[in-house]
Amino acid sequence: MVQTVAWITSLVFMSLIVIVFFAVAVKSKERRDYEPIKKKWYKARKFYATTVITILVVAALGTLRQLPYDQPVYGEAVEPTIVDVKALQFGWDMSQTEFKVGEPVEFHVTSQDVTHGFGIYNEDKTLIAQTQAMPEYTNVVYITFDEPGTYEILCMEYCGLAHHLMIGEITVTE
Amino acid sequence: MSKDIAYHYEDKSRNKLVAAYLLTGGLVIGLMMVFGILMLLNQGGILNLSPATFYQFLTIHGTGMIGAAALAAAGLMWYFLGQYVQLSKKIFVWNLVLFIIAVVMVIVGIFSFEYASAWTFLYPLPALSANAWGTIGALLYLVGMLVLGTGFLLLYIDTGRAIIRKYGSLTKGLGWDILFGKKDVKDAPPKAVIASTMVTIVNTTAIIAGAIVLIMNIINVINPSFTFDPLLAKNLTYAFGHVFANAIIYMAVIVVYELLPKYANRPWGVSKLFLVAWTCSTIFTLVIYTHHMLMDPVMPRWMLIMGQVLSYANGLPVLVVTAYGALMVVYKSGIKWDMASRLAYLSMFGWVIGVVPAIIDATIVVNHVMHNTKWVPGHFHMYMGVGAVVMLFSFMYYLAKVDSDVQDTMLDKIGFFCYAIAMFSISIQFLVSGAISTPRRWATHFPEWMGPAQFGAIAGVFAVIGTLIFVIHFIRYMKNRGTAGSDMYEKKLA
Ligand code: HEM
Ligand SMILES: [Cu+2]
Ligand SMILES: [Cu+2]
Repeated sequence: MVQTVAWITSLVFMSLIVIVFFAVAVKSKERRDYEPIKKKWYKARKFYATTVITILVVAALGTLRQLPYDQPVYGEAVEPTIVDVKALQFGWDMSQTEFKVGEPVEFHVTSQDVTHGFGIYNEDKTLIAQTQAMPEYTNVVYITFDEPGTYEILCMEYCGLAHHLMIGEITVTE
Repeated sequence: MSKDIAYHYEDKSRNKLVAAYLLTGGLVIGLMMVFGILMLLNQGGILNLSPATFYQFLTIHGTGMIGAAALAAAGLMWYFLGQYVQLSKKIFVWNLVLFIIAVVMVIVGIFSFEYASAWTFLYPLPALSANAWGTIGALLYLVGMLVLGTGFLLLYIDTGRAIIRKYGSLTKGLGWDILFGKKDVKDAPPKAVIASTMVTIVNTTAIIAGAIVLIMNIINVINPSFTFDPLLAKNLTYAFGHVFANAIIYMAVIVVYELLPKYANRPWGVSKLFLVAWTCSTIFTLVIYTHHMLMDPVMPRWMLIMGQVLSYANGLPVLVVTAYGALMVVYKSGIKWDMASRLAYLSMFGWVIGVVPAIIDATIVVNHVMHNTKWVPGHFHMYMGVGAVVMLFSFMYYLAKVDSDVQDTMLDKIGFFCYAIAMFSISIQFLVSGAISTPRRWATHFPEWMGPAQFGAIAGVFAVIGTLIFVIHFIRYMKNRGTAGSDMYEKKLA
């Protein structure tokens, strides 16, 4: 799950930072000449900068390969189900709310009034996909459900006083 | 450090004004924290506020925090920049006056006229509230923000003018003539000037973008038949909001640059890499607001990809240059730890650690399931609450030290640990909520999402206690201003 990976990656790097700042704070009590420290740690910085840049470049190359914006390649003779979604204060108007496992679905999302956010949550209350619901524009979410169940559509952009009550439902069957 | 720097520049009335900025900022920040706690209590199921009340609190908390932190940071920047260039006191006063007028308008708009669009006032929400608020509330808020922007714009026009006067141009303020080999790096502008130049450039741009979208919203509120492109509005909104919020830390970091080398008794000079870093920060800060729009696939694809790539790159100047430099200055330096230096060090930590969840969330595939979850407030409470705001507190103690004989006490030290642990916990609490998919800006949470909010509310109380201790120390300083002679200045730090 993406969230877990994000969380663990964050924890690892954040822990590293905690350790470094803690260590330097502890070592700050000693007093040494600055020149040798400068020499050593400027050198170390080259290595450190190279490492950081490498990590970022690799992460970028890896994560930019498959973007959620792209229409998946559908198999021969497979037609995606297109669902028109209209958001309005404070509800979801969807042309279809029942789907089958394995059926490729495209939600074409727009709004009648203000900006909303179309977020699909599974039964564990985990967000699995989203897009912005904008007036005058149509954004598409491509998804193929692989678990049956009741999914919820939660509003992901603040849209007024009933923003947190703007919940829709879709069902996915075998 | 060069001799022409007017260290002993002691203009009492200037310090008084700067102190007024910091006090206003500190008080507003402390007060806004209370609204933050109330929101968390509501989300945690402990309080039962009406949605209208919750979203009014959300709006005042976001607006108030950003506004107050920006104001105090501008005061900090003005204090240090004023040691190198000639700034207008009149404009500095005007900005404070306009700020206070704006605060009154915003407060009346929110609490008397129930305006609650959140501080991002995303078009066309100000006009289309489903009858939750009316035209007057919206106008009070939007015009208030315009007044606030005007004050800051005046201030940046003045800092820009002063920098150009002394250094020739804004690009020279960023040290481009050195980067292009026309001047030796020994003659580089001081760090305070470089940072101020960067902020002048980005915030002038941000405020202009903000003013345009505010005016559009104002016209739309008055006359709903006047409409404009919601996607353009969103771009302008985030171009304003992202930059203005980010600029806070670029103003506030000046205190770290000025303070750490003095305390550690080590030079922290300007290098070419430093100049490159600040030029990069200038450009990145201006263009990476698009990482707020990664869930708008109708945006040009290249802009979204650049949004991710440049957001990654934006971590480099702080990770490789500023934070690394700070750590080197402190490492085995026998630095004297007092409240000001401790807070400065904590703030660097807060900034750096906040970069991590920010970069993670700027990754498009991650953003797809984390955008507008509480992960987002998680990362910015870290870099604002443990970073930028801590720089402001550091400066408050620094000013008290150089301009009075008020001493740090044990209570201040307790306040430090109280605040540090509490604010860090609040940030982590948000990140946990985000990792379990809790959407942001939800007045109430499902039971499975309540735990972190309850924990955060408790931590919030300690953050407020810490802040109160800091502000009280500062008020004690303000009462005893000028009790340290300027000749004491360097002796005290040694
Ligand atoms: C005691 C400390 C604090 C607490 C308990 C707190 C709590 C909160 C809460 C509950 C939210 C709404 C989260 C949501 O979207 O559901 C929030 C949003 C926010 N906070 Fe804080 N906060 C604190 C300190 C700060 C500080 C120091 C700053 C910055 C200087 C800050 C800036 C913001 C901003 C900009 C928002 C976004 C508002 C919006 O979504 O429109 N907060 N905070
Ligand atoms: Cu909505
Ligand atoms: Cu909503």
